[in-house]
Amino acid sequence: MPEGFKLRICFRKTGPLRFLSHLETGRAWERAARRARLPYAVSQGFTPRMRIAFGPALPVGTAGEREYVDILLTRFVPVAEVTERLGASVVPELGLVKCGYVSPAEASLASRLTIAAYEVEIEGGSPQQETERSLVTLMGTGSLSVEHKGKQKVFDLSQALPKEPEVRFVEGRTIIRMWVRMGDQGSLRPEVFVTAAVGRDRVVSVTRTDLLIDDDQGWRRPL
Amino acid sequence: MAVSVPSDLWPQVERLLSRVERPSRYIDHEWGAHRREMAAYRVALMYPDAYEVGMANQALQVLADRLREIDDIAIERVFLPWVDMAAAMRETGVPLFTLESCAPVADVDLLGITLSNELTYSNVLEALDLAGIPLRAADRDDTHPLVIGGGPSAHNPEPMASFFDAILIGDGEDAVLEIVAADRAAIGRGAKRMERVRALAAIEGVYVPSLYAPGPDGRLVATAPAPGRVRRRVLADLDSYPAPTCPVVPYADVVHDRATVEVLRGCSRGCRFCQAGMVYRPVRERSADSIVRDALAGLTCTGYEELSLTSLSTADHSQLEAVLRRLVARLDGTGTAISVPSLRVDSFTVPLARLLGDGRKSGLTFAPEAGSQRLRDAINKNITEEEIITAVEQAFTAGWRRVKLYFMIGLPTEIDDDVRAIGALVERVLGVAREATPKAERGGLRVAVSVSTFVPKAHTPFQWDGQVPIEEVRRRQGLLRESMPHRGVELSWHDPSSSLLEAVLARGGREMADGIEAAWRAGARFDAWTEHFSLGRWLEAFASVGIDAAEAASAPYIQGGPLPWSHIDSGLAEGFLRLERSRTDSATTTPDCTFEDCTGCGVCPGLGVENVIAGGGSRA
Ligand code: SF4
Repeated sequence: MPEGFKLRICFRKTGPLRFLSHLETGRAWERAARRARLPYAVSQGFTPRMRIAFGPALPVGTAGEREYVDILLTRFVPVAEVTERLGASVVPELGLVKCGYVSPAEASLASRLTIAAYEVEIEGGSPQQETERSLVTLMGTGSLSVEHKGKQKVFDLSQALPKEPEVRFVEGRTIIRMWVRMGDQGSLRPEVFVTAAVGRDRVVSVTRTDLLIDDDQGWRRPL
Repeated sequence: MAVSVPSDLWPQVERLLSRVERPSRYIDHEWGAHRREMAAYRVALMYPDAYEVGMANQALQVLADRLREIDDIAIERVFLPWVDMAAAMRETGVPLFTLESCAPVADVDLLGITLSNELTYSNVLEALDLAGIPLRAADRDDTHPLVIGGGPSAHNPEPMASFFDAILIGDGEDAVLEIVAADRAAIGRGAKRMERVRALAAIEGVYVPSLYAPGPDGRLVATAPAPGRVRRRVLADLDSYPAPTCPVVPYADVVHDRATVEVLRGCSRGCRFCQAGMVYRPVRERSADSIVRDALAGLTCTGYEELSLTSLSTADHSQLEAVLRRLVARLDGTGTAISVPSLRVDSFTVPLARLLGDGRKSGLTFAPEAGSQRLRDAINKNITEEEIITAVEQAFTAGWRRVKLYFMIGLPTEIDDDVRAIGALVERVLGVAREATPKAERGGLRVAVSVSTFVPKAHTPFQWDGQVPIEEVRRRQGLLRESMPHRGVELSWHDPSSSLLEAVLARGGREMADGIEAAWRAGARFDAWTEHFSLGRWLEAFASVGIDAAEAASAPYIQGGPLPWSHIDSGLAEGFLRLERSRTDSATTTPDCTFEDCTGCGVCPGLGVENVIAGGGSRA
């Protein structure tokens, strides 16, 4: 994105709205920015379009707690004012978490965000230790072969999952926390990993809780 | 009245969503969606097709807005779940649900269903069945909602009459309020179902099928308190009814995903084949001020990037250029496009078209309908070949590179020469378009031709005509294909087999109900979707109840004899329709009553209304 003010928006996509596709979510934010009357920049040409860019796509059905979108503004609007106007232009299930400005020169969200944190809830039944053991066992094999559209794809687990998954019990629910590396080669879907570890038909829900930048300063949020 | 909280089906629905296509159709929570948990009376408004088609329907939004003015009732949307979802729902015992509360449709007090075209009729039955509501009105009891229809196809209500408790004929803005008030009063009196339904018959424009039975000559005869003929409801003007400015903004990619303002209702051009042009008379233009006000308010509230100024003939609005100029000035720099549905060649001007933002990219659409001047005169299209050629020439000179032309075959009085004339006209259009385009740009030049089959409709001068048999339609299509220029034209056809079904359902009487039910039982639904439509299934279904569908589509009615819609008074004088039909044979045109004098269609004196032109007076 060229000159202007690059507004970075952090939002959630929860409840029924986790069934929105990436495209639908994008259109929703574009329209929210119009409703909020933000001074968005438009592209040149026959059909001018809003200058807007999204982070990595969230699969249909997966909730997100900290998703990101960048919108280029032609004028600076104080963060408090943007927060108020934008916050009043979206439904709570696609709510604004926070927003702020980043350098217009910064690389795109899609290329910067390389780590995704997930929480996968599984149906109870087995004790915590057993679940932990199945995860450790699978990690120990070092790789996982996944079928996607008729093709086999082999993930190197130490690459795909840069941190050991953790198991937590919260109010009687079993939740597996995991961190997935995203890249051009595609990333390992958390429910696929969990199913491989604990068996079929046990995943209740998947939530992407964070998207992180991984560079020489370590892992951190983009805002 | 008791306040009820509906039961919530969401946990069951949610479980189905990960295994169906496009789940966003079923999740509600769009911007502009309203949920009223506590309500003394519940209304569900349904468009009987998939979400992405139904959400484009403006009429439902208008009615929902009107009803929402009553503060203790709930108004919810319903669409027909796609086949995968319907199968999943049946398998798991989840009934048809409303979007906002995700509550069973069967639990509402009133279910309103749009009858927008004949190809959605099987969907109505599918929806009732999924909801667990008996298909036939006669089989419903006090536990079921009242099922009320309305919309363009309701002008011949008979084929669907036995599935509805009542059907509204004409404009709904005021009638829906009266219907709800009458029903609440009836419920308040402790009325049983039959009495609730009878109470509706007293409302102007409401047809209660169960109060009509065939008389000695075949015409339907009313029993008290129903009127002998049901008079179409019509609003005197539109300005007192603001366009919906905060409609629901879908997430899904829907048809016509944009802000809309209805700029006028009715059309007085008088095309003889056009039902809408006959049954929505007179012309009622919205004032320029209210169009601009509602358009801007609509864009602000919805955040849409496109505004459409809709009507049957938007370019006929007497102040359209001024409206566009004001809107363009206000929307400059916002990346908002303005569009109109289609232009008439005689109202096309370059300045007007220039005001329409991305017009050059999407191209222009004209509907000459017929190829020869004789046939265009016979159908009263009132445009000349020179007007068509001039409009195309001007458009291409001004930079347009695409034009789409709509034609119909099978119009009354059509002969082979008329069909060949379509090819000749397209050839001329292609020639001038090429001439007007610089050599280097000719590669991007597109002339698209779309051809449909004429379907005779009730309340038009062609209401007595049968449809041309399908074998003959196919022969004429062959003729047309041969006469078309071989290069530079994209030719597309509207499937004549679905036009045949449309004709059967548009022209038939009550006896059609058994055929419709048989077709639905045999699996008919989503008939407007080519991949789901099967003419064979419909023909067999009709045959199983003793109806020869091909014959029903093509047999003419006798002038002066009974028609299935004789008891529906659209305001048009039968004498006018007959005169117009006789002028067809002599290819004599009839002028437009907003430019010249009243031509005596009967609507204004009959319904106590008149043409409303925004600037006052006439359009001349
Ligand atoms: S009654 Fe006369 S003025 Fe009114 S719509 Fe008919 S032709 Fe036009």
